[in-house]
Amino acid sequence: MEVFIAQVINGLSLGSIYVLLVTGFNLLLLVAMIIHFAYPQVVVFSMYITWVVLRLTGNSLLLGALAAVASSIFFNMVSAPLFQKVMKKRGEVDINSTMVLSMGIGMIITDVLSHGFNKGFPIAFPDELSGKTAILRIGLISILPGQVSSLIVGIIAVSGFFLLLYKTRAGRAFRAIAEDPNGARLVGIPLFRTGLESYALSGLLGGIIALLLAALLGSASPDLGEQVAHKVLAVSIIAGLGNLAGGLVVGLLLGILEAIVQGYLSGSWSNAIAFVIMLVVILAKPKGLFGIKL
Amino acid sequence: MSWALYLPYRVAHLHFIIVANMAISGYAAAYLVMTWHFPFGWALALGFVLGGIIGYIVALFIGDAPTFAVVIVGFTFIYIVRTVIENTEAVGGTMGMFGLPNIGGSPILHRWTMIAILYGLVLLVGFCIYRFDHSRLGRAASAIFVDPDLATSLGVDIKKLGILLQTFSCTLAGGCGVLYGFIFKSFHLDYFTFHMVGILMTVIFVGGYATLWGVVLAAPVLYGVPLLFPPQIASWRIVIYGVLLILVLVLKPEGFITPRFVYNMETFLSRRRKKRNTL
Repeated sequence: MEVFIAQVINGLSLGSIYVLLVTGFNLLLLVAMIIHFAYPQVVVFSMYITWVVLRLTGNSLLLGALAAVASSIFFNMVSAPLFQKVMKKRGEVDINSTMVLSMGIGMIITDVLSHGFNKGFPIAFPDELSGKTAILRIGLISILPGQVSSLIVGIIAVSGFFLLLYKTRAGRAFRAIAEDPNGARLVGIPLFRTGLESYALSGLLGGIIALLLAALLGSASPDLGEQVAHKVLAVSIIAGLGNLAGGLVVGLLLGILEAIVQGYLSGSWSNAIAFVIMLVVILAKPKGLFGIKL
Repeated sequence: MSWALYLPYRVAHLHFIIVANMAISGYAAAYLVMTWHFPFGWALALGFVLGGIIGYIVALFIGDAPTFAVVIVGFTFIYIVRTVIENTEAVGGTMGMFGLPNIGGSPILHRWTMIAILYGLVLLVGFCIYRFDHSRLGRAASAIFVDPDLATSLGVDIKKLGILLQTFSCTLAGGCGVLYGFIFKSFHLDYFTFHMVGILMTVIFVGGYATLWGVVLAAPVLYGVPLLFPPQIASWRIVIYGVLLILVLVLKPEGFITPRFVYNMETFLSRRRKKRNTL
């Protein structure tokens, strides 16, 4: 029972990060109309930038955090014109070509990370960020600072994001575009500017996720982005593409499921079991459990 | 392999499961040859059949699924297959399989046998795809690519065609997996990663995804040219592929060889032939 509780706590932390990732991914999908498959790779890239800044500044957490957020926003904004160009070329919204474009971006990021940083070896974040001593230890259950911070910040970020989306004018503009782009244009919502805002906002989320992942995992490797990208797309499809509430539920469930499986089976098998479950759901319900919101 | 990805993309399916199929058939064939001393011909045939069966079963579920669902099923399969192989000692686990035997006994005979099989296969598959592209089924696939709803209203069975193309591409991938391993005389999990998906995708989109000739041009160029680079630059080839892919998507979305280009070439060649005949 102790193992189970410990793994559920782990799972909640991991799940909250999945939720944030899926939320950023869905925001780009709904408002900017792109499948940004490389979004998690951008997050991992920001983790690497944070690592570099931490090393250069003698582990200054503030500068590291700023670097994570700035690099993520910068990368998202730089890639925006490319996506816009591809979409213009195809006449209208084309999810497939934006997905292929983002896969290309993902290829570049992964290879640059495996060649240009730490000679391709995994990087480790300092203890100041992740924290090694447990805050609470009861039998097998130990709660690390990284887990607590990622869970708390994750909950705050998700709540903040949903508040922004459902209680503010900008949020209404985002939702209007997601619901009906032509209708939104008719009532005077600037599609291009709002689209750019969604890139910036998902960049901000990406920076926060990079910090949380660094705190939770304590390390990163070049292929981390690929693994996470795959899970994020899977969560998004299982929940129903563009379904924010569905993403919240499925993201948390996947995190908990993965952690529980990891508690009882060896590391690599746990991933396979999570993937098998994802595969079964995708094959049985290609439109997702909560329905596509596109 | 690029043709294996090209075929399902005729109906807008990026069917990355072919990479997993390569691994399954390749490892299975290598295991049979090394442990049970199966003849290579039988192992190759089994590779094709195994690929086809897996492809057909999966296609029953995703024959008419949207592209992103097909992509995610492909990636999931790759991860699952990699994990299973990683944990299976009989096929070498993380170490892989080494020392696959020479076909025909000597290395020279092995080399020539492989070249003969490969070129024979390329000609056969190329002919089949050419015939497909110029048939009613090919036109139906083009209609699905442009507008699935319109294609359905014209009487095209999207699911059946999707199943057909996915099964064929998986069959092809199965055979390619066996050949790939026996050419390099080894199997390692590092072959079957996102890198391979990236390379195949670059070949298709840079060459041109709307005609089979795009792959014919892009595959040798993209694979061969980096071999001429000094090692320092060649090690960045995935970055080069990525940049090339993005540039082509942005500047020339249909790739270098478009159906219009093929049509113009065919017209030009037939005119020259006519002129020569009149002279």
